[in-house]
This record gives sequence, C-alpha cells and structure tokens, in this order.
Amino acid sequence: MRHFRTLLAHELRTALLSGNTWASAALFLALMGGIHFFALLECSRAPQPWTPVEATFRLFWLPLLCVLPLLTMRSFAEERRSGTLSALLTTPASTAAIVWAKFLSAWLTWAAFWCAFLLFPWLVDARLGTVGDQRLSDPATLFGGLCFVLVSGLLHVALGILCSCLTRSAALAALLTFISLLGLTAVGGAMESLPIESWSWLGWLREPAAHLRTFGHLQDFAGGILDSRPLVLYVTGMMLSLGLAVLAVEGQE
Amino acid sequence: MSDVAPQPEAAVAAERLTKRYGSLTAIEDLTFSVAPGEVVGFLGPNGAGKSTTMRILSGTMAGTSGRAAIWGVSVALNPAEAKRHMAYMPENNPLPEDLRVEEYLRLRARLKDVDAGQVDARVNQVMEDCDLVRRASGRLIGQLSKGFRQRVGIADALLAQPKVVILDEPTIGLDPHQILGIRDLIRSLRGQMAVLISSHILHEVEQVCDKVVIINRGRLVAQGRTDDLRRELLPHAGFTVVTKASQAELTALCTAAEPAATVEAGVATDLGWSRYRVILPAQSPARETLATTLLGAGLPLREIAEERYGLEDIFLAATRRTPAEGRRS
Repeated sequence: MRHFRTLLAHELRTALLSGNTWASAALFLALMGGIHFFALLECSRAPQPWTPVEATFRLFWLPLLCVLPLLTMRSFAEERRSGTLSALLTTPASTAAIVWAKFLSAWLTWAAFWCAFLLFPWLVDARLGTVGDQRLSDPATLFGGLCFVLVSGLLHVALGILCSCLTRSAALAALLTFISLLGLTAVGGAMESLPIESWSWLGWLREPAAHLRTFGHLQDFAGGILDSRPLVLYVTGMMLSLGLAVLAVEGQE
Repeated sequence: MSDVAPQPEAAVAAERLTKRYGSLTAIEDLTFSVAPGEVVGFLGPNGAGKSTTMRILSGTMAGTSGRAAIWGVSVALNPAEAKRHMAYMPENNPLPEDLRVEEYLRLRARLKDVDAGQVDARVNQVMEDCDLVRRASGRLIGQLSKGFRQRVGIADALLAQPKVVILDEPTIGLDPHQILGIRDLIRSLRGQMAVLISSHILHEVEQVCDKVVIINRGRLVAQGRTDDLRRELLPHAGFTVVTKASQAELTALCTAAEPAATVEAGVATDLGWSRYRVILPAQSPARETLATTLLGAGLPLREIAEERYGLEDIFLAATRRTPAEGRRS
C-alpha cells in the first residue's frame, strides 16, 4: 500500500507537470465548451424539450474518443520505450501497484477535466438561470451526468491503460484505445437502436443488450435512477482490463 | 532494509539457469555464485547472454528453467523479498528525463522501502558518495552528461544499502576520469555488499573484481579467481628473448633447462640481434632460472622478459574453449 501511495503521488505530479495533460485539458474544455455553447444557442432560438446540459452530456462520446486516448497513451508505452518501466520493476513495488497507480492517476485527471467543464453550465446558470420558459441547467441532470461519466470512466480509462501496456508506441496505444472505445460506445448505441425486441431469433440477445446500452445508462443516471447493473458492468470491466494490464506488463518484461 | 535474514552461503546463486526464446537459447545450464561481500566480474562476448542472466537475477525477466536466488530468496517464488535484498542497474541505465536528481532518488528510496525517517539521510549520503551533491543534485536528469547519469544510476543502486548490487556495464561511455571514480566506488563496496558487474573493459574488471565468471554463447566457460584461471587456461609461460644466438643454440640451452621448452622462430631486429619467444610450462622451475641459465652460458643477451598474461588473455582462452571443458574445470 505504501508503494501504491508513493507511485500515485508520483503519477499525479507527473500528470500535473506534463504538457500532454494541459494540451488534453485545453482540447477537452474547448470541445465541451463549444458543444455547450451551441446547445445554448439552440435553446435561445426556440424552446427545446431538453436542457443544454442534457444535450452536452449526450455527446459525452466525443471527448471520450478524442481526449481520453491522449491521456492514457503514454502511461506504459512511453515508459516501456524509454526503459524506465524495467527500472521501476527492479524495486519491491508490485506490478499491480504500478498499474493501479497509473490507472487511478489517469482516472482522477479525467474526473478533473469533467469537473472543470461543469463550471461552464454553473456560470451560465448563475448568470442567466432561464431563457424565457427554458431552463438552462438542472442540478440533478448535472450531478447524474457527472456520475455517469465518472463511473463509465472507470472502464474507459482502464481500457486506455490496457492498450498502453500492449505497445511501446504512444501513438499506436492512442489508436488502439480509440478503436476499443469506439467499439464499446458503438455497440452500446447499436443495442439501443436495433429493434431486438421484435426479432424473435435474437431473443437470447435481449438480456445482454439491456446491460450494454451506454446511452440508456446516461439517461438513467441523469434521471436519478441508480441501477446496480451498469455499476457492476463498469467495475467488472475495469477489474478485467486492469488484470489483463498486469499480465501484459509481467509477460512483456 | 531488513537485517534479520541470516547470512547465506551465496549472496547470488544461479543454478542451471536456462532462458529460451522459442527455438533460440539465450542461456543454458548456467551455474555460478557470488559470496557475500565479494566483487565478481561477469564477462562474455556480445550476445553471450550476460544481460539476460542479469535481468533474470534481478527479477525483471523470468527464466525458462533453473533457479535464481538472491540472499537465499528465490527470485521467481518471492520476487518482492528478493528485490529487497538487491539493486540492479540495467544496461544504458534508463532514467526519467523530467525529474530532478534529488527528487528521483527520494522516489526510489521510498519505493525501495527505506525507512521514511531515513530517506533524506540516505539520499544525501549516496549523493555525497557518488559526487552528485554540488554539480547535479538540483538538475533535471535529462540535462545531465552520460557520466553523471551513470552516477545517478549507481547512487540509486546503493540507496537502500542492499546485500547485492548487480551492475550491467556501469562504465560504458564514460571518460577515463569518470571510470576511475566509479572503479574506486565499486572497490569501496568490497566486503559491504556482493557486487556482480558486467563490463567489456577487462582491465577494469581485473583491477576491481575478486573473481570472474565467463560465459560464451549462453554457457559457462570459466569461473574463479584470476590467478587460478590463468594457471588453468594458460598453462604456459612465455618469455621474449633478444639475443645474437641462433634458434638452434637457444633451443639447446632452453631444453637443457626444461625438456618441454620450445623456441618460436626469431625475428631479426638490428645488427644481428633476433627476437625469440621461449615457451615453458607454467609450473616449470626453469621459469625462475631461465635468465641465469642463458647468461651463464655466455649468450649475447640484450633483453629477456616474461610475458604477463592479463584478463584479456584469460578471456580469449576461455571463450575459445567449449562449454563442456568449462563445466569439467
């Protein structure tokens, strides 16, 4: 545990001082700020059945695909390329402690990005509150949406860490993460869009499909519904990814 | 560092260590040991398997079969405990470029289980020992010269006062002054910790090490003290003799003193002088009396000198022999 705390503090410090983190943060905030701005613009033209915050969270996959790979790509790939991972493994610190420290550091950074973004709707809400009859923000939606991105982020960041373990090239790690996250989000979206209910020959798929509907999870969280199934899905997915990451690091070294 | 473990017979023990990458065998049946407090040179040509062996001993790579133990603890079965007794500086000494020397050493000290209250004292001590305090402690590692980076690597290795230090090419790329400094540093470790050091600079190894282990193509070909290996691998003593005598005259005198003596054909130098090479068995008493014998016979003699066989000759002789011969020895 002492090693884990030391490694986590080191990883957080490295992330804080890294130009890559600040560039990712700038990209993230520009992207989310832009989306939120256009959602506000739409609401100012005509009343919408959704709040700008809801609309912004519906596009959570955009920063997920564009920014998260940049955050996690260097975690192991860069250390393997430079050889510092080998040096780290000569200490009594376990591989699991190293993997968990890198994961938690990346997840906390990801969480910090989202929390920083929430300043936008909070400031808009504090300044304007409503435009006509249209509410611009809803604390419950804000909190629920944040919970969703943080909980689903457990799996997403763990996937990024796993992809970074598989190669010495940070660029390739980013590409692998992008493909994995795209696959995961697309499968989740497809499960909701396809009329599986009406296809009797796909009856066996109904139950797993219900678990994988990513956008449905977002709606549930934003609506204040706390379902244990997505929690189990994201936490077990994270554990599996990190377990594989430990095996990948031990196998390659 | 825990001091409760009793002192084992071998600080480092490799028993029939084998590593295969598919059909390629990197090392095979490697058996050797390093006693506590001993400084041992680990030698071999490029690609002989030195780095592979060191990585297995340090726990950063798994062997295919055999046993590696550090301070009596199996590296494969209890890696964390084995690593507590050991420090390893890999070849090329990879270091994070964006940390300052002092920060890096503090981080490593905490990861190596140095007592929290002792971290500052240990970091200051190793920086002092490795001459890093004045010129490098506050600098970014990425800005350091090769010599200072090597010193940071060695300081890191000494941080937790391990029982065993494994150094893979610690003097590679250093200038003669820096090599001298590192040689003195390693010498100062004798008796305090077991040191296994691989180097291509055989002169360095000869000056610093108590014993050498020589491998070739992944197999052990020789191990022991330099003098013992010299006797075993180089059973002849060579003399350079510059004289005006003919080869026949010189041979007659030498064989009278030692029947097994041979004289290699001479090279004419100047004014009738020729340079010959006289070879005697290393254990022959004639080795002590050759000069007296030749002078006593009234031979016109300008020079007689015994050739000194260094570690380089031992290394060349050892790497020419087969692994079976190495095992038999």
